[in-house]
Amino acid sequence: MNGTPFIGLYPFQWTGLLTATMTLVLLGDAFAGHYRSGFVSRAQYAPFVAGGLLIVAALMASVAPGAAWASTALRAAGWLAVATGVVGFAFHHYYGIARKPGGYKWLLHQLMYGAPQLAPLALALAGAFGLATARGLAGGTQFVGMEMRTALLSLVAVGIAGAVLQSAVLHYRGAFNNAAMYAPLTAPALAVVALVWAALAPGRLALASVLILLWATLLVGFVGMGMHLRGFGRQMGGLYVALFNWLEGPPAFAPALFAGFAAVGLSVVYLL
Amino acid sequence: MRRPTEEGGTVTNLKRALKLVKFGSPTHPIFVHYTIALTSASLVFDALGFFLEKSSLNAAGLWTLVGSCVMTLATVSTGLTSATRAPVEEGEARSFLRAHMALGLVFYGLLVAMTLWRMSLWQDGHGVSWPYLTALAAVSFVMTAQGYLGGELVYRYGVEVEQSYRELPGRPATSPAPSLVAPQGSSALAHPEQRGEAS
Repeated sequence: MNGTPFIGLYPFQWTGLLTATMTLVLLGDAFAGHYRSGFVSRAQYAPFVAGGLLIVAALMASVAPGAAWASTALRAAGWLAVATGVVGFAFHHYYGIARKPGGYKWLLHQLMYGAPQLAPLALALAGAFGLATARGLAGGTQFVGMEMRTALLSLVAVGIAGAVLQSAVLHYRGAFNNAAMYAPLTAPALAVVALVWAALAPGRLALASVLILLWATLLVGFVGMGMHLRGFGRQMGGLYVALFNWLEGPPAFAPALFAGFAAVGLSVVYLL
Repeated sequence: MRRPTEEGGTVTNLKRALKLVKFGSPTHPIFVHYTIALTSASLVFDALGFFLEKSSLNAAGLWTLVGSCVMTLATVSTGLTSATRAPVEEGEARSFLRAHMALGLVFYGLLVAMTLWRMSLWQDGHGVSWPYLTALAAVSFVMTAQGYLGGELVYRYGVEVEQSYRELPGRPATSPAPSLVAPQGSSALAHPEQRGEAS
């Protein structure tokens, strides 16, 4: 198996575990959003089927890294998650912007109050991490025509960039009413720049910047979860009215994706 | 007068004792002590191991920190459960609760990062260093602030405590509910004597 182990697990086992965790986290927010809209379309159940299979497959592949059946299952679940995420993106775009009153003329309004446009792509990205994990566990050194390390760091950069954009829109909707709402625009945004820098011109300074900013992004994820929890507390009734405020408050688990992407990036930099 | 939860009589047999077992009490205060004790112990063990150059103390520092990281998951989840059961009205107490909730996850993030750092040191066969000890001391300070907020919630505002304890036999239950949690006369939590309903 490729890479250096950390507490007995190889890099792609870590990637598998982190893929499963991130998928669980994003399904939590997807459930809140789809439940809030009343599951009006059967397609709204799709991410839970695809995501659920991806979680199981990623865990199995990490636990049994040498098993061919686990690798095959992860590959299948990864492709299913990618397809579901892309189709979900099209659904969110169509029903969240095109079909809404005002359509594209009210684009900013739709982006803020409609279905989160980039959220389904997080599932697609988790699927891509699953595919890379399956390839890596099978001993592959290339992914989508790139060296595995570069490919994974590029996926991390894309993931963090998407999370920054989505949080920027939603925090703008919240009028940046707390200074901490600027946090996703600081270290995570700089981490994307550093990752691109390290990919284009690898060097010690670029790598050191990537490491520092990925650690900072990991912490931003936890700070975000704490602040979103505080956000529930600021809603009428706080967590005593937990279900209502979970549905109407800030997305509970979204900041954890920052921590998840950063953790994948750190595992790649340190171990691969 | 007996509290509503008091069924009366001395417990004299196991069957009756089992009937009285309830899991309604908050478990957050139990797990909190694991987090505080294990993190503090890790700092002390690692600092002593560093100054006295004893590898056995460093090993204890590593495993207590790993233990803290695992147990704190339970601390955070039971804390969330407690927050969903606390009917705290808007005001000073709820501000404490919000700060406590936010800082809790910030602390957990720092703890996870410190644990990963500590485990990488262990894997590479390195001992702890000044920067590590300083960082762990800073994280312990955050934990202390977090513990203070939690302590104030319980001991100043009575969150999950007031109206939950059982009165001693023969002693009238006259303690008023704290006004910041349940303002007098405005809530069903207020004691009957305060509402003029006592017989």
